[in-house]
Amino acid sequence: MINVDEKKMPWFEGMTIASILEQIEDTQFCSVIRLNGKLVSSPKFSETIVPDNSTIQLLPLVAGG
Amino acid sequence: MGQLNLKETTSVSYERAEVKKGYTDFSLRINLDTNNISITPIEEAVKEKFIGGKGYDLWMMWNAVSANTKWDSPENAICISSGPLGGTPGYPGAGKSIVTTISPLTGAPIDSNVGGYFGPYKKFSGFDVIQIDGKAAEDTVILIDGIENKIKVFSASDLPEDSYEMSAALTHYFDEKKPVNVSIVTAGPGAAKTYFGCLNFSWWDAGRKRVRYKQAGRGGIGTVFANKKVKAVVARFGAVSMKSNNPADLDALKQVTKAHAKEINTLDPKQNRMAIVGTTHLIPIMNDHDCLPVHNFKFGSHPESHVIGEDVFQYIFDKGFDGCWRGCSVACAHGVKDFSPFTGPYRGTKVFVDGPEYETVAGCGSNLGIFDAQTILEINFYCDAYGLDTISVGTSIGFVMECFENNLITLDQTGGMDLSFGSRYNTLELIHQMARGKGFGTIVGKGIRKMKAIFAKDFGADPKFMQDIGMESKGLEFSEYITKESLAQQGGYGLALKGPQHDEAWLIFLDMVHNFMPTFEEKAEALHWFPMFRTWFGLCGLCKLPWNDIVPEDNKNTKEPAKVAKHVGWYAQFFSAVTGRKVDSNDLITMSEAVYNFQRIFNLKMGYGTREHDTVPYRSMGPVTVEEYQSRAERYDTQLIEKYDMDISQMDTKSKVAALRQKREEQYELLKDAVYTRRGWTSNGIPTIETVKRLGIDYPEVMEILKKNGIE
Repeated sequence: MINVDEKKMPWFEGMTIASILEQIEDTQFCSVIRLNGKLVSSPKFSETIVPDNSTIQLLPLVAGG
Repeated sequence: MGQLNLKETTSVSYERAEVKKGYTDFSLRINLDTNNISITPIEEAVKEKFIGGKGYDLWMMWNAVSANTKWDSPENAICISSGPLGGTPGYPGAGKSIVTTISPLTGAPIDSNVGGYFGPYKKFSGFDVIQIDGKAAEDTVILIDGIENKIKVFSASDLPEDSYEMSAALTHYFDEKKPVNVSIVTAGPGAAKTYFGCLNFSWWDAGRKRVRYKQAGRGGIGTVFANKKVKAVVARFGAVSMKSNNPADLDALKQVTKAHAKEINTLDPKQNRMAIVGTTHLIPIMNDHDCLPVHNFKFGSHPESHVIGEDVFQYIFDKGFDGCWRGCSVACAHGVKDFSPFTGPYRGTKVFVDGPEYETVAGCGSNLGIFDAQTILEINFYCDAYGLDTISVGTSIGFVMECFENNLITLDQTGGMDLSFGSRYNTLELIHQMARGKGFGTIVGKGIRKMKAIFAKDFGADPKFMQDIGMESKGLEFSEYITKESLAQQGGYGLALKGPQHDEAWLIFLDMVHNFMPTFEEKAEALHWFPMFRTWFGLCGLCKLPWNDIVPEDNKNTKEPAKVAKHVGWYAQFFSAVTGRKVDSNDLITMSEAVYNFQRIFNLKMGYGTREHDTVPYRSMGPVTVEEYQSRAERYDTQLIEKYDMDISQMDTKSKVAALRQKREEQYELLKDAVYTRRGWTSNGIPTIETVKRLGIDYPEVMEILKKNGIE
């Protein structure tokens, strides 16, 4: 089981950030997430493997700089 | 009182104007030629049109300077204002000062938005805006004392030379018992000897019992300050509360303050964690999106960037409250205690470093090939102590390093220093030279535009190549984002009024990643509304971060997520609650538009402000060199084939570089056309008569300047 924005989701072997986002609605603006506190950006979503019991936070929009 | 040698030369008592609905309605002018101090009411029409903050500054500047005024002319003024909302404790980011002058780098008005307590203290002492002009005969300290209701001018000697020590000494000098009552603006020795001197704005950190600093960095305002022989401007004021602005509707103010502060407190820990890591979270994000400047903006990422990002700084930053204004919940102004420099006058001692922020890490770290947090901290420390803008320092040295690696300059010119990328010790030595006004550092301290001319004339360097790789526009060095894949952000930099600084428009992600603006017209629309919101923060005395760096959880479901409508609505409520002037979100844009266009015409008045001055170096648009192209060959090849429908099978890399360049430069010119049209400007980038009339800035002198430039 993993925790995504304080909601539980079932975990599976080989799970990536990209595969998680595919299961969630309205994530088109999500270009950065925190995986167990570490920032991961969209170019690495497909290659980043999510371990079981992970906590993930979706950063909604990167608009300011 | 301490033992500093300050001799009072002028002292004026005044009746402190009560703040009403965010305004005192008075300005203060200090002329250093005569030591004349004048307090003048601000006309209602000026208040209505220019709002405060940057608007007031620009209006004062406009009336102070002529078209012939240079940065070091006596009549050039430094203006500081905080805006009607500035000084609201607890509202996130509501303690900013906005500083303007005619820039030594650009020759046009520059503005810088800075934290610390000076702006609010100055306002509560009775003045919405202060103007300092003339030139002092000897080193001078100015005191604006809102507790004793006195303005004093001192001649000063034996002051500590660097900005840090001077502010600390003067803080204790002017209020030994309550240092929290004092905020000081200082420059430093580097400001006097370079063209990109910054100003340090202080506040007393009660938790750590020490003076802290934020910087008005851009455009060399510290250089003008030092040229006027001003060592420090001190504001002294007592207790501040939500009632200090005497708001029109205190309950509404409390409500909206609570709402925005609560949101930041709730969401920042889930999003950027700025209260813990400042803006260093941007390092890994920019690196992963190929937007982190590496080796003079040649590349956008580097495998070692992880050692200079939030993963490191979250452990280095000293723990504690780090708001640069009272009660600010963003609290991003972090610092490092007990840092021990390995070079320079502080070598081997322990100092507190205020910073670094993202811009400093990127500009003085990755952009120079320095992937070492300790060296970046030391650069940050000495730049602040010497009064140097870390962005211009980083971008300028990056340019020097690329010139050195391409043999455009050699050891003969650098005084024997190897200035290859990654040269940590010699980077620091250059900075020490800038402060001492000795050696090759004096040339670097003139900024990229002047370096290009010197390198070409004196060293025979190739001017065309330097034009391509010298990251400056309008004479100002670029801040620290790679824009090659975001046309909108190329415009965000190139079309910014003061030069390439991201505080006017930061559209990289909205454009490149989120794809909100695929067409020219949509990019132009964004290059209209985004700068207007950012301008508005400068009018009101606010920080830009709480608007769209922390985003509501339901923002994605709104009609226009890029605008973060919930926060904009709160800002309108904030403005109404303080000033009593009922406004909605659209009014914020209208307020800004008048001042924004006025600033564009101010550029025109100073001999700039037309299309040719909105040019950017090709390095900001695409790959200049074969090496650069080949590093992202798949991306560029794909674009040539798919976007531009070209057959590249027989082309070598040099030909591909040229083909891509032609296309990208065409795109940038088309963007200019679209933006000028959207902004109501001519194809030469000048506001039309219709535009200035619509905005109510058709003053006689404005019309005369337009006429002089062929606009009738």
